[in-house]
Amino acid sequence: MGFTPLGSARRAAEFTSREDGGATNPPRSRFIKFLAISAVLLVLTVACSQGDRSTWNPAGPVAGQQLQMFNVLVWIMVVTFVLVEGVLVYAAIRFRARPGQERPPQVHGNMPLEIAWTVIPTILIMALGIWSVIELWQLDKPPASADYVLEVTATGHQWWFEFEYADAGGGKTITTANELRVPVDTPVWVWLESDDVIHSFWIPRLAGKVDMIPTHRNRLWFQADSNEIETLPATFLGQCAEFCGLSHALMKFEVTVMEQDDYDAWVASYGQKPSLSAKGEQGQKVFNANCSSCHTTSGPDAAALVDGRVAGFLAGGNIAPAPNLTDLATRQKIAAGILDLNEDNLRDWLKNPNDIKPGNWMSARAPFYKDGENTLSDEDISAVIEYLISLK
Amino acid sequence: MATLTGVLARPSGYTGVWSWITTVDHKRIGILYGFTAFAMLLIAGLEAGVMRSQLATADSELIGPGVFNQMFTMHATAMVFNVIMPLSASFFNLIVPLAIGARDVAFPRLNALSYWLFLFGTLLLHAGFLQNQAPDAGWFSYASLTEKPYSANAGLDFWALGLLVLGTSSVAAALNFTVTIINMRAPGMGLMRMPLFIWMTLITSILLILAFPVITVGLIELTMDRNFGTHFFMPQGGGDPLLWQHLFWVFGHPEVYILILPPMGVVSEVLPAFSRKPLFGYPFMVFSGIVIGIMSWAVWSHHMFTTGLGPVANSVFTITTMLIAVPTGVKIFNWIGTMWGGAIEFKTSMLFAVGFIALFIIGGLSGVSHAVAPADSQQQDTYYIVAHIHYVLFGGSLFGIFAGIYYWGPKFTGKMFGEGLGKLHFWLMFIGMNVTFFPMHFVGMNGMPRRVYTYSAESGFQLLNSLSSLGYIILFFAFVVFIINFLRSSKNGAEAGNDPWDAPGLEWSISSPPPAYNFAKIPQVLGRDHFWIVKELAREAGQGPVQAEAHVDERTIHMPSPSYWPIIIAFGVTWIAGGILTHYALSFIGGLIAFVGVVGWGNEPASAQSDH
Repeated sequence: MGFTPLGSARRAAEFTSREDGGATNPPRSRFIKFLAISAVLLVLTVACSQGDRSTWNPAGPVAGQQLQMFNVLVWIMVVTFVLVEGVLVYAAIRFRARPGQERPPQVHGNMPLEIAWTVIPTILIMALGIWSVIELWQLDKPPASADYVLEVTATGHQWWFEFEYADAGGGKTITTANELRVPVDTPVWVWLESDDVIHSFWIPRLAGKVDMIPTHRNRLWFQADSNEIETLPATFLGQCAEFCGLSHALMKFEVTVMEQDDYDAWVASYGQKPSLSAKGEQGQKVFNANCSSCHTTSGPDAAALVDGRVAGFLAGGNIAPAPNLTDLATRQKIAAGILDLNEDNLRDWLKNPNDIKPGNWMSARAPFYKDGENTLSDEDISAVIEYLISLK
Repeated sequence: MATLTGVLARPSGYTGVWSWITTVDHKRIGILYGFTAFAMLLIAGLEAGVMRSQLATADSELIGPGVFNQMFTMHATAMVFNVIMPLSASFFNLIVPLAIGARDVAFPRLNALSYWLFLFGTLLLHAGFLQNQAPDAGWFSYASLTEKPYSANAGLDFWALGLLVLGTSSVAAALNFTVTIINMRAPGMGLMRMPLFIWMTLITSILLILAFPVITVGLIELTMDRNFGTHFFMPQGGGDPLLWQHLFWVFGHPEVYILILPPMGVVSEVLPAFSRKPLFGYPFMVFSGIVIGIMSWAVWSHHMFTTGLGPVANSVFTITTMLIAVPTGVKIFNWIGTMWGGAIEFKTSMLFAVGFIALFIIGGLSGVSHAVAPADSQQQDTYYIVAHIHYVLFGGSLFGIFAGIYYWGPKFTGKMFGEGLGKLHFWLMFIGMNVTFFPMHFVGMNGMPRRVYTYSAESGFQLLNSLSSLGYIILFFAFVVFIINFLRSSKNGAEAGNDPWDAPGLEWSISSPPPAYNFAKIPQVLGRDHFWIVKELAREAGQGPVQAEAHVDERTIHMPSPSYWPIIIAFGVTWIAGGILTHYALSFIGGLIAFVGVVGWGNEPASAQSDH
């Protein structure tokens, strides 16, 4: 094969035209496919990033800064993807074998290229890493300038959340469950504990999660920003985010953000003696006889009381740590954020909680449940419901 | 004495099932691993189908949490330990001796033992299904959920004990391949002339040897907590649940590199063959593999960013995790460099190799986003992580393995696979994989945690979940196409010949399928890509195409004799574990059987009677 001009022209013609004239995969149809895929992705991104539990919809500085970091990463990922994937696709197309093509030059490597694509990514990654570490430390605690930080202890249980305020305001102790009330524009320090298995405390719109690990006392902080929230009171969904057993999917909680005045009013009214009708009084009797060893309705739970319930549970007794039901009627939901609070749902829950929350410890340990069914009379159950909806 | 020698005599002349049960031939063991692992792939894939059916609609009551939790646990556990690892082991077995010019591995009986331990360990792991007590605490089974009373049934014991048996299988195989690669390379094959797949096998084997003891400790401690009253992870009694996580992930992170390095090795073999030029930057590919292996020990707590380790630990692991992206990137660039300037033939194997790179880029990039601890606190335990896992393990490992199946399949079956069905398989799998897993990035960041058996209608997760479930159906058909292609081609495919791809490795210089003894004459290796050199020399000398090495009479080459003892020992070892679940007496009997097996192994004649 000599290098005659004609020979070169012929070889050039061979190498620059495809045998099928490029009909099967012309550049234009590939570009259209690329556009179509991008359009779908754009639609997905836009359509799916609003939501009451979306990390793309932050309502406070912690989730906001975490999202900012994620957005930087997304840009880096997209640019890297387009560049590297683009080169890959280009190589796959450009260097397809032409019919009868000879063995290509047997290149073994390129030292300057190897150095470049080792050193440059290392520098970029180190820069990213240093920035990440700086942000990490900044996010670790509420700003020092905050003059008041509300402290709450959240304890994970199978399958509900306990919230204890050592000092909700004015020295008042509050124990509640599954609904966390906080004032707006106030940093909240949440201590995280568990008495059974590992759970995780996650309010996507307010802060990334931290796990609740038995024997550990973890912590996170968040703050709800009034300029990110349209109207108050506002509710944010929280969910357990560490697999914790049968009803992990049903272990949710709500964070109710309120104006400072409304929050103070709530604190003041917590634990006030409810006014009960006759039926309610009857219900209170039934409740005290059957439910109060696990559920408290008269105010905060003392630590020793909860420890006793945990020990009894582990010993296999007819007892378990259970949600504090003080002021239950002021809550939106029951059964850890999965059912609206109303009489019908309360009835369904009390009659057969296992249907709603498989594996729940109430129907497993409370003696008046046989095979998951409530053996108390309908009259007693109605009375208890009357009592519960009077708790405010 | 005669009776004793009779009992201990090596089996010989077996055909049929007995020849498979007593085999010590690496090629047969590779086939056993391959078929067993593929069957497990189908089972674990069906478990995924159960989950995707349940999650296709909000508030679905199709599958309850009891079953669902078993599904996600066993799907992942099986995919990791019963599918990807043994598929890699299948390749190690089939390819390593051929690619280094050896006749078998260093310890053929140990090799067989590894397979039987794998089979019996897999059966033990799954035995819980027979009593509706399959493991159900997730594939990494965090304490203290795994303790009693929170996991009161025997499921977690099946998990821990099954994995203990599987671990012995992996470590034995790893030791075997390490010695084989270091000691049994053909003359002329220095370390820097080894095919890259062999390097990846060596690094993976060293990782296996060092990582499995860590999880073994964890599994024994878990078994003791659950059955013998200890408190390693149980808070009441002074234990710490977080200790389990450290033990698991110090194993677990090297484990994920164990899952990806062999398929990376496969891709590094396939790309040069179909680009018709050598692997670009071979020394850098070797060193990046070694660096990844070393650095894999320094990143484990990125799985624990949300466990409250504190900002110092989180900072350290953020940095180390980001740094491990560098050698990974080096590999990707070198693969592209291999294709660059080549003359690429897009056979099915090559499609899967390029698909591997394309999908692994996505999985690797999402991995970099997890490395940043504050961002990770929103991603952790959501479907964003599930998306990452599947891009690297499905788009990565499994695609790489399929590239290898299509590349080396003809070597062992002697038949070419159908290219039409092969390409259909590829496109169904590529499209199906993206439809299933890409939406998961979004639904995760929108607030969907992982390991949930249901989600509410108000959550807004339904659309993307339905999309993922649709993708599953596409993947289902992809596998159907593959099975049809494999079965048809094995029966009626075109003759492959010894070198269908004009490839560089030693394995292509012998017939397809290879004779029992592999090489009649151990080759003198002339360099990296030895067979290309041989063919080039032949071309320059004006000789015709290089033929497969001619067969010789098998009886003139002594090969390791078959043995009963590996399966017997594996059976005994499995009962040591199984007895803890049933009666301790059975553990003792299992130990006795294993002991007898070891004595028999040690005392049996070095070769079968007929060889004397």
